Amino acid sequence: MGTNKNGTVLIVDDEEMVITSVRAYLQLETDYEVHGFTAPEEAVKHLENHLIDIAVSDYLMPRMSGIQLLTRARQLQPEASRVLLTGHADKQSAIQAINEVGLYQYIEKPWENAQLLLIIQHGIERARLLRELREKVAELDTAHSSLKNVQKRLLQAFL
Amino acid sequence: MNQQPDMPVNSGERAALRAQVDSLTAQLTEEHKMASIGRLLASIVHEINSPIGSILSNNQVIIRSLEVIQQAVVSGEHAGLEKARRAVETCLSLAGVDKIACERISEVVRGLKTFARVDSSELRKVNVNEQLQNTLKLTHGEFHRRIVVETDFGELPPVECHQHLLNQVFLNILVNAGQAIEGEGTITVRTRRENGWAHISISDTGHGIKPEDRPKIFAGGFTTKAVGVGTGLGLSISKKIIEETHGGSLDFDSEPGVGTTFHVRIPLEQRKPAAG
Repeated sequence: MGTNKNGTVLIVDDEEMVITSVRAYLQLETDYEVHGFTAPEEAVKHLENHLIDIAVSDYLMPRMSGIQLLTRARQLQPEASRVLLTGHADKQSAIQAINEVGLYQYIEKPWENAQLLLIIQHGIERARLLRELREKVAELDTAHSSLKNVQKRLLQAFL
Repeated sequence: MNQQPDMPVNSGERAALRAQVDSLTAQLTEEHKMASIGRLLASIVHEINSPIGSILSNNQVIIRSLEVIQQAVVSGEHAGLEKARRAVETCLSLAGVDKIACERISEVVRGLKTFARVDSSELRKVNVNEQLQNTLKLTHGEFHRRIVVETDFGELPPVECHQHLLNQVFLNILVNAGQAIEGEGTITVRTRRENGWAHISISDTGHGIKPEDRPKIFAGGFTTKAVGVGTGLGLSISKKIIEETHGGSLDFDSEPGVGTTFHVRIPLEQRKPAAG
């Protein structure tokens, strides 16, 4: 599985209107692939099967809060950036969330489109850099162990 | 002989004190109403922030789409027309979203308006089912993610009452019901006509009221809620509003672990004050 070459955005809000508006804006300004869900459980299912670059989630949703959803997102796809989009006036719980889930950003409703776009752009970039870094580290590991193998065989040959 | 010092004796003084008590009671009632709404404010704000966010975002997208359409019209090129067609589709779909968003905001505002003190002394004939519906708009944000609200409205003739006071009682009972439910549950609002009376019942599937607390729940200053959650005045004020102001009754039945039902009964018409 791979993400769209321009970026893949997951947006979750129990208000259909929020998804429609954000999707329309992103389609106008970017070439990102946008997946929207009103049910957090469905978003989790999507996360289990599809790679994304950034997850933007509402805070208060039925059955599963944005924090719970983003915690799942962190377990399933640690490199994907996590953003909380909330209209809740309760800042305290938002701050707690940022610390618990390792949020990349926190945006308040009503949101500013330009700000949202900037956060999404940077979030995608960040996720891709992290993924690339992980791949490079893995490559390094492989190279390192094959070097070790060569070294072992060399030593065996000469001793 | 049995006259005590510092006690008012003449009827004029007594009347003045009575008036003072009445005015303080009215003030307390008003302040309690504002406190109830204040407590719901965070969820009311949340309720209108999403539609406002949508409208603002859509406005920007629609303006950009219109620019695309304008360019296509000016240039008249075929390639531009396809883009313009898509832009028109976007505009139409967002206009639909805006309509829903505006309706949502006006519903909340309509709910708030029923609490505005129009003329407290005036009795009006009101549609109680409609008032309940409006009050439920205010608790919607607080409830809809964990509580299912079911309504079973019977046919009710207009009920003569002080509309905003009655709504205050409904709001108070609904907020209590919501607080009684830990996690998910159901609140059922039912209305019936019973001869010359309107019977409104509000049931919750909450934790119920403990037998030892039952005799105290209508007493002012009694609460089982944490500091800052309840004032302990809601039900005592509600009882006053229903029984003293409207000549009705407010009572409840409750079973711990099953839930509580509050019954509001008020006469369809208020008795005219007797002359003298």
